[in-house]
Amino acid sequence: MTKFRGITRRTVTRSAIAGIALAAAPRWPRPAVAADVIKIGMPLALTGPLGSVGQQLKRGGELWAKTQSASGGLIGRQIQLLIEDTGGNPADAVRKAQEMVERDGCNIFTGITLSSEALAVVPKLEEWKAIFISSDNGDGRLTAESFVPNFFRSNISAPMGARAVSLFLRESEWQNVYAIGMDYAWGRNSVQVFESEMKRANKNFIGSVFSPIGTKDFSTYITKIRQSGAEAVYITMAGDDYNAFLAQAAQYRLPEKVQLLSEVVDLTVPRAVGDAALGLISSMRYCFRLDNPKNKEFVALWQKEYDTVPDNNEGEQWQALKMLAAGIEKAGSTETGSLRSALETTAIDDIKGHVGMRKCDHQAVQNGYMVKLAKGEGFSYPVPQIIATYPGEKTTPVCNKMTFED
Amino acid sequence: MARRPKYLRAWYGIFPAAMLALAPFALPLYVMTLLTEALILGLFAMSLDLMVGYTRLFSFGHAAAFGFGAYASGWLLLHTQLPMLCAVPLAALLAGIVAIGVAWVCTQATGVSFSMLTLAFAQLLYAVAFKWTSVTGGSDGLAGIPRRGGPFGFDAFSSRTGFYYFVLIALAAALVFCWALVRSPFGAVLRGIRENEAKTLALGYNTRLYKIAVVALAYGLGGLAGALYAPFAGFANTELVFWLFSGQVLIMVIVGGSGTLIGPILGAAFFLVVEHQLSNYTEAWALGFGLIFIAFVIFAPEGIWGLLTERLGRAGRSVR
Amino acid sequence: MSLFAFLTTQSLNALSQAALLFFLGVGLTLIFGIMRIVNFAHGTLYMLGAFVGYSVARSTASFWPALLLAPLAVGVVGVLFELVILRRLYRREASAFLMVTFGLALVLGEIVRLTWGPEALQVEPPQAFAGIVFLAGEPFPTYRLFLVAAGIIIAVAIWQLLDRTRLGLIIRAASQNPEMVSALGIDVNLVRSMVFGIGCSLAGIGGVLAAPLVTASVGMAATMIIDAFVIVIIGGMGSFLGSLIAALLIAFTQVFGEYYLPDFALAFMYLLMLLVLVIRPGGLLGKEA
Repeated sequence: MTKFRGITRRTVTRSAIAGIALAAAPRWPRPAVAADVIKIGMPLALTGPLGSVGQQLKRGGELWAKTQSASGGLIGRQIQLLIEDTGGNPADAVRKAQEMVERDGCNIFTGITLSSEALAVVPKLEEWKAIFISSDNGDGRLTAESFVPNFFRSNISAPMGARAVSLFLRESEWQNVYAIGMDYAWGRNSVQVFESEMKRANKNFIGSVFSPIGTKDFSTYITKIRQSGAEAVYITMAGDDYNAFLAQAAQYRLPEKVQLLSEVVDLTVPRAVGDAALGLISSMRYCFRLDNPKNKEFVALWQKEYDTVPDNNEGEQWQALKMLAAGIEKAGSTETGSLRSALETTAIDDIKGHVGMRKCDHQAVQNGYMVKLAKGEGFSYPVPQIIATYPGEKTTPVCNKMTFED
Repeated sequence: MARRPKYLRAWYGIFPAAMLALAPFALPLYVMTLLTEALILGLFAMSLDLMVGYTRLFSFGHAAAFGFGAYASGWLLLHTQLPMLCAVPLAALLAGIVAIGVAWVCTQATGVSFSMLTLAFAQLLYAVAFKWTSVTGGSDGLAGIPRRGGPFGFDAFSSRTGFYYFVLIALAAALVFCWALVRSPFGAVLRGIRENEAKTLALGYNTRLYKIAVVALAYGLGGLAGALYAPFAGFANTELVFWLFSGQVLIMVIVGGSGTLIGPILGAAFFLVVEHQLSNYTEAWALGFGLIFIAFVIFAPEGIWGLLTERLGRAGRSVR
Repeated sequence: MSLFAFLTTQSLNALSQAALLFFLGVGLTLIFGIMRIVNFAHGTLYMLGAFVGYSVARSTASFWPALLLAPLAVGVVGVLFELVILRRLYRREASAFLMVTFGLALVLGEIVRLTWGPEALQVEPPQAFAGIVFLAGEPFPTYRLFLVAAGIIIAVAIWQLLDRTRLGLIIRAASQNPEMVSALGIDVNLVRSMVFGIGCSLAGIGGVLAAPLVTASVGMAATMIIDAFVIVIIGGMGSFLGSLIAALLIAFTQVFGEYYLPDFALAFMYLLMLLVLVIRPGGLLGKEA
């Protein structure tokens, strides 16, 4: 009998089998607060390389649910968020979403973190009779060729971000532009949109390069950018790759020679790289500095709850849920068909000002922003300052497409 | 030691089989989905067991088989009018054939070097799948893969429950095939290679050919699992070819009990269900998950199958 | 940029990249060479080094204590793991080690995430090496020169340890014939613990040295472990010199390959690995075939 500190194998065997049986037992549906609770499914990437994004979406969702419940719920019903961790794996995302539909009777989703997860879930929405309102997925195709009627996008998309950057460039003196992106669908697509915009703006698009996901040493890419003779470089990167690139670019003193412009940034970036982010100009999907009464109220509420300012994705999740709430109130129910029709024409005036859903492709039309990272009072890291705002009509692409006309 | 009578031993096999066959009538739909995926992964793990458990060939790149099968069947279902009943076996066959070439190169080495060669091939397949966007969909993968019925209008496998039976039948067939294989003279040679390759070689067997054969079979069956996965999930993406998945299926085999065929199936189900349930309850699920594996190594070296057979009074262990 | 400047900068880029790769691979190859253990937790230990380095650097406002304490901490974790868990498994099959190090990777990875949070954290390079030098008119970060120097120092130190000291002799003997070494009255278990500890420390040093370049992040472990494996495979599992050569080979191939054929950047390492393995199945200087 093998013994390990008095625990016999037999004991372990029995507890193991009991444990296995327990683990295999199908989880009962969550105890509902009341029979007609509004359930909103959020299968988030809470762990894994993009865990920080999922955590932001979670915080945004939880604060909204707390605030909304405090004012009596939604159409007289209580709200329940179903939050589970997918680890950033599309197979898990689909599995958990399906379980939420079938076990918990959920027909509304938000907060799906990765675009690969969204692309796996979206084809199933019709079968599940579920509505998905995106707060974070930027892939242009979700409102273009991959569009399905049950999909709604509340957030600024990648083409909209690229557009904001190119509008900013039009007004600048920089003529020669290079581009670098992460080598997968988002990076390629964003750079492509940017390139066509540069040509339409009669700027000189010198060239582009793509780095594989997981690149740790960007020295060669920095050399390429430097050698290209560009005055500005458009960057489509996120996560660890982006942090590494910025840290190394600063070490090579690249920003002194070439202006760094990026499609999207959030506060985790300057927190991760510190002064290496100084001077970065980027499109931002939500900024805590937005100057309107609703946003000031939101920021104050956020600071009270979390003792910090709200970040990019936190604001976007808040807005998505506000949109959803407005749609539910308009429809008077959460039934998929009526909710879909209501959402198609929903508009709100909230933290980003006036935002209106577009019926043709379910993209929320909203202002575009450009920020510049600089030292800020009360912050130990560079923070965004808004340097340009563009009206939604100018930054939103043509219906069901990723191109612009103007 | 008195052995249980034969008819009782048969009952140990019939009882779970009957439970699986009747499951759709008893379990809610979302549990059936989980069970279907568990069976697919079970097939995947069992295919690896042919290599790991019976021939001591550790593959660090078995995800390549799964991924290849998934992309192949996914592509066929998306771009041709082939029904599932044709696309799935065809994809598995392709996987097995391609694997012959891979096996030929990999078996030039032994031990850890063999494992590393399998990893190299898997990573190359990953790179190809990632970059060859026109065929594989690149980083997006293939989406919207249909469960096409036919031929002759045979539609029974296209529904959720029907597809479950499709997977169950495929797994049962594969299990019977493997069981017969390892009990055949071919299987005896494999075991000889596992115990002492030099001796087996000295006995006059061309061990290299046997190794190539078992690798091709293992990859073919792994490809079958992948080919089933594509219409099950409706998508095929690069995660299915990633080295992490290769590591996970290896763990499934070891946790289940290598060299037992059924053990790895249980190991796969265990892995999937525990990960799924743990992550439903807590963000820190990876902590518990890792501790479970460490505990298994220390307390249950024969894996789940070892625990079960010990518990059930040594009635199993029939295929060692 | 002139050709001379280009070649100089790129070569130095490659050398600094090689240094990083060397730190990553040398611990793994040492552990495998001496103990025949494929350590799946290697990337996680590397990551732990980066995060411990962050905390030490933050609290002492200096990089140097971090460089000293982080590898020490990771080494201690390694030794503890060896004592409590690995020691029971030496009579078992290789699959036991695979699973147990896989479990360690999961557990340690989650502990790191719970302790330091999901966000990436900044580790600043030491003040002395935070600037640039001009090489043929092009700016080059001094920290990378420091990395190259550190790589050379550590490589020489390990080489001397293995080749010239009694401990090194014992380690090399134990890897070839543990029974004989034990019969000579040397505690082989102690040797194993030390080797595992040293291997983990090397992972820790790698993490701390890489952190100013890539930040300390939870995604580190997964991206690093596969690179570590490739280095060790190409160099030959168990060969210290092999990992050095492999690091140089991979770095130069990647740096110049990325420049001229960026579309194939993802595949370079794996193509190289396949090429080497087909010609020499044990790796360049490996003992197995």
